[in-house]
Amino acid sequence: MSDYGHDLLFGTFVTPTNQPAAHAVDLAVASDRAGLDLVTFQDHPYQPRFHDTWTLLSYAASRTSRIHLSANVLNLPLRQPAVLARSAASLDLLSGGRLELGLGAGGFWDAIEAMGGRRLSAGQAVEALEEGITVIREIWAADKPGPVRVAGKYYRVHGAKRGPKPAHDVGIWVGAYKPRMLRLIGRAADGWLPSLGYLPGGVEDLAELNAHIDGAAVAAGREPGAVRRLLNVSGRFAPTGRAFLDGPAEQWAEDLAGLTLEYGITGFILGTDDEYTIEAFAAEVAPATRELVAAERGAVAAGPA
Amino acid sequence: MNYGHPLEFGTFITPTGEDAVTLARRSEELGYDLVTFQDRPFQPDLHDTWTLMSWVAGRTERIHIAANVLSVPLRQPAVLARAAASLDLLSGGRLDLALGAGAEPDGTAPDGSWDAIEAMGGPRLDPDGAVDALAEAVDVVRGMLDAGEPTPLCFAGEHYRIDAVGRGPLPRHQVPIWLGGRERRVLRLIGRKADGWVVTLGHLGPGDLRAGNKIIDEAAAAAGRDPAEIRRLVNIAGTFGDERRGFLQGPPRAWVDDLLPLAVEDGAGTFVLICDDPEALERFAREVVPALRAAVDAALPAPLPTGPVRGAAARAKRRTGIDYDGLPRSLARTAVEPGDIDYPRVRANYMRGGSPGVVLRPGSTAEVAEALAFARRHPDLPMGVRSGGHGISGRSTNDGGIVIDLGALDAVEVLDEATRRVRIGPGARWKRVAAALSPYGWALTSGDYGGVGVGGLATAGGIGFLGRKHGLTIDHLRAVEMVLADGSVVRASDTENPDLFWAVRGAGANFGIVTSFEFEVDEVGAVGWAQLGFVASDMAGFLRRFGEVASTAPRDTTAFLVMGPPRRGQPAVAQLYGMVDSADPDTVIAQLQPFAQIAPMFQQEVVIAPYAEVMGMAPDAEHQGRGEPVSRSAFVREVTPAFAQAAERLLTSGVVYFFQLRTVGGAVADVDPDATAYAHRDAGFSVIAMGVDRERLDRLWDGLSEHFDGLYLSFETDQRPERLADAFPPATLRRLRELKGRYDPDNVFRDNFNIRPIPGTEEKP
Repeated sequence: MSDYGHDLLFGTFVTPTNQPAAHAVDLAVASDRAGLDLVTFQDHPYQPRFHDTWTLLSYAASRTSRIHLSANVLNLPLRQPAVLARSAASLDLLSGGRLELGLGAGGFWDAIEAMGGRRLSAGQAVEALEEGITVIREIWAADKPGPVRVAGKYYRVHGAKRGPKPAHDVGIWVGAYKPRMLRLIGRAADGWLPSLGYLPGGVEDLAELNAHIDGAAVAAGREPGAVRRLLNVSGRFAPTGRAFLDGPAEQWAEDLAGLTLEYGITGFILGTDDEYTIEAFAAEVAPATRELVAAERGAVAAGPA
Repeated sequence: MNYGHPLEFGTFITPTGEDAVTLARRSEELGYDLVTFQDRPFQPDLHDTWTLMSWVAGRTERIHIAANVLSVPLRQPAVLARAAASLDLLSGGRLDLALGAGAEPDGTAPDGSWDAIEAMGGPRLDPDGAVDALAEAVDVVRGMLDAGEPTPLCFAGEHYRIDAVGRGPLPRHQVPIWLGGRERRVLRLIGRKADGWVVTLGHLGPGDLRAGNKIIDEAAAAAGRDPAEIRRLVNIAGTFGDERRGFLQGPPRAWVDDLLPLAVEDGAGTFVLICDDPEALERFAREVVPALRAAVDAALPAPLPTGPVRGAAARAKRRTGIDYDGLPRSLARTAVEPGDIDYPRVRANYMRGGSPGVVLRPGSTAEVAEALAFARRHPDLPMGVRSGGHGISGRSTNDGGIVIDLGALDAVEVLDEATRRVRIGPGARWKRVAAALSPYGWALTSGDYGGVGVGGLATAGGIGFLGRKHGLTIDHLRAVEMVLADGSVVRASDTENPDLFWAVRGAGANFGIVTSFEFEVDEVGAVGWAQLGFVASDMAGFLRRFGEVASTAPRDTTAFLVMGPPRRGQPAVAQLYGMVDSADPDTVIAQLQPFAQIAPMFQQEVVIAPYAEVMGMAPDAEHQGRGEPVSRSAFVREVTPAFAQAAERLLTSGVVYFFQLRTVGGAVADVDPDATAYAHRDAGFSVIAMGVDRERLDRLWDGLSEHFDGLYLSFETDQRPERLADAFPPATLRRLRELKGRYDPDNVFRDNFNIRPIPGTEEKP
């Protein structure tokens, strides 16, 4: 059992389709109105049916008021890290501290290369992502003296001015499944953002993957709790329980609370383009899950009677 | 000289803090056409410009947004193109793209230095390289945004390489690409490739503007372009005061005097005021802009145009035989030509590809008449009339001809609440109609899909989910306003032109263009909506049983069935879509029960929902049909054992991929067959089969004719003349031909299953 004790976040993973153009924005607004914590969009710049994710994030942020926004996850190989850092700070400032930075190392290398990006091997991509994170954190560190100097293999920034400083502590959340990337998360990221559907063994895989992150965090002198664990999930509401996240809202709450208490997952991002599902997730699942987790954490804190 | 662009005004705002957003909104309030921000990614005191532009787009409604100018070396052009299309789509067509090489050739300010770009991780380019890279970026962005081009984009440049990337998305409007700079090579590039030149007056010496224009114009002419394609945008700065102290230093009147020659003699089409002072922004908008407009209009021999300027590349895509330049002004404003950004949105319909020479988009009855008159001046060209563009028969588009697109005539208005009289434009879609009627507790039976347009369906019949209870859509029609072939606008109803009213209800496409429909709609509350999936192992038996149950069901229940060919090694499946006009769950279940017993079900979803919600499931997507649809239609009175077996053979032939039975009868059959041109009132089912191979489908379908009793034209793609005799019984067809002789003697409306006129006594000499 590993619960890292973070408060719970509930969010949506909305398809950034550009036809109709307002679809994703409407669902972001619906997520905001429903009271969810987070709305996220995938980022595949080579896919012409999708909006450019950064543009969509910025536009959607301006149409919402309370909800946080993140890419899920941003394709770093097709973005310039120093420019991205300033863009992220800008958006965080404009939105009053509502941006989180989901990042990925890239994966569809044919498509990335076709768009004019650089093809990297899996190992190189991990190194490049780590350099990218360093550049971003350095740019944000407006209070540090001197200009930014990162002489990386993939990204070289020498002498760029620092800043702006984001409005809040923007979380760098990384999507990853392989040990090398997980260790990078343990060393350098604020969050881990995998998709349950990509785990071959299902939820049970989380324990082993968490262990990679925990080990790397400790080795780097960090608390494992410094890394929030989020999870993209999918499911459907049904009158009777049939399977994991396939049943009534109460069952969803139990399923999700189990993930928190068992595997330390404290961010649940539901893949959906349906407004009713968004509302039910926010109104029924989120409070019930929080209640179950709070009760269990309280019981643990109080110790055996 | 002046290049004839509509005069526009913009603001240039420092992209910092919350003030940038406030000033952008203020610019919109003050009536500016454009708000712009400089882009200096290396400067931490300023916002990231793209992020700010996207944010501002979400906080404004009308004003266009541009960078001034975007630093290309720190952006990925292919990603930038996608981002531009996104922002244009999200903002409703308000993005203008202004690009710059990043730094001046000498590597210094004002637009940035190569040191700063390199420090950020960008490339350091020499002066030639920077212009080359900019030129390549323009090509990449243009290529990416050219979404109507079916081939993927390949581009092998020195600075950027794109390898077979899918283009798009299609922006909302024709995003112009303007370039900033003042160096000769950049100016030549502008002449060759760009839609505009952005230049800051304060960086120019005397005569530089005129000299720059000359370089651009010469390069444009050498590239076969009209220099007038290129807008000149001039960034200006000044201060207001009581007395003139210099150029743009003084009272508004003095500003007008200073700017007038720039517009009239030096071709400035847009003035962009560099200013962060709200008072000065207001003063310029209120006191300089109107006076300058008036002064420019007075100084020029002709008033400036208001429509878009079509470049040489767009004009090159025009089709022969169309008098494009002879379009009346009212239509020219919204017409879509093959080279226009909106062309991919309107060229095809739901299932059929098309390449019309021009799509006219009239916004009023008078403009419909003008469009028709324009089409009549091209008697040898095909003419399609399009409402929603969904028609399976595909007649609303063509190749090289004229399409009259009625999409703008989409109003839905309640005329009289007591009698439930509603007026609906032909361009509305049934989804919207249903949504508009829902708050009143009303509905109008339409088809089975909310994405279908009103005009086509309401002049053909309208076989929908409320049909057995409420009849055809045309049975609710009380009057139409239409434009006849001679351009006259008439009303038709039971009392006005009653024979025309008879013809419109079933054969309307042959008689004119309906510009508004008046319907008496029904009180319909929530309905039961069922989607049932059946295992139809015994296909013929299943079809027969469905036929029995569906045709003997109470009238409140209308069921449609869809089948495809069985998959290899698996039993056939059938999907039933049914509506029960009742909000009572017990009634809904009771009416569906007999269907549930036809065969084992693998899926059942039944909900009580407003009719509008069922129609609302259709997405708001643009039609992207390709090629020619192959669809055949027929009516059958009942699903006889012989027909059921024939249908099974059809479904297992490998020729048909989609087969549908729509139950009619009920209220549809209550109407006298002679009451409307739609005459097949005794049909029990409308049958549709779609395939890929026209010849094979025709052969099979023609072989089934013994089972058939008529057809429904909207689902028919067979162009052989016999189909007309299937669509209309002899007496009906005879009367239609006589009326055609009276209302359309020249046979103008002939592209949608032509009813040939019988020359009548009223034929024109």
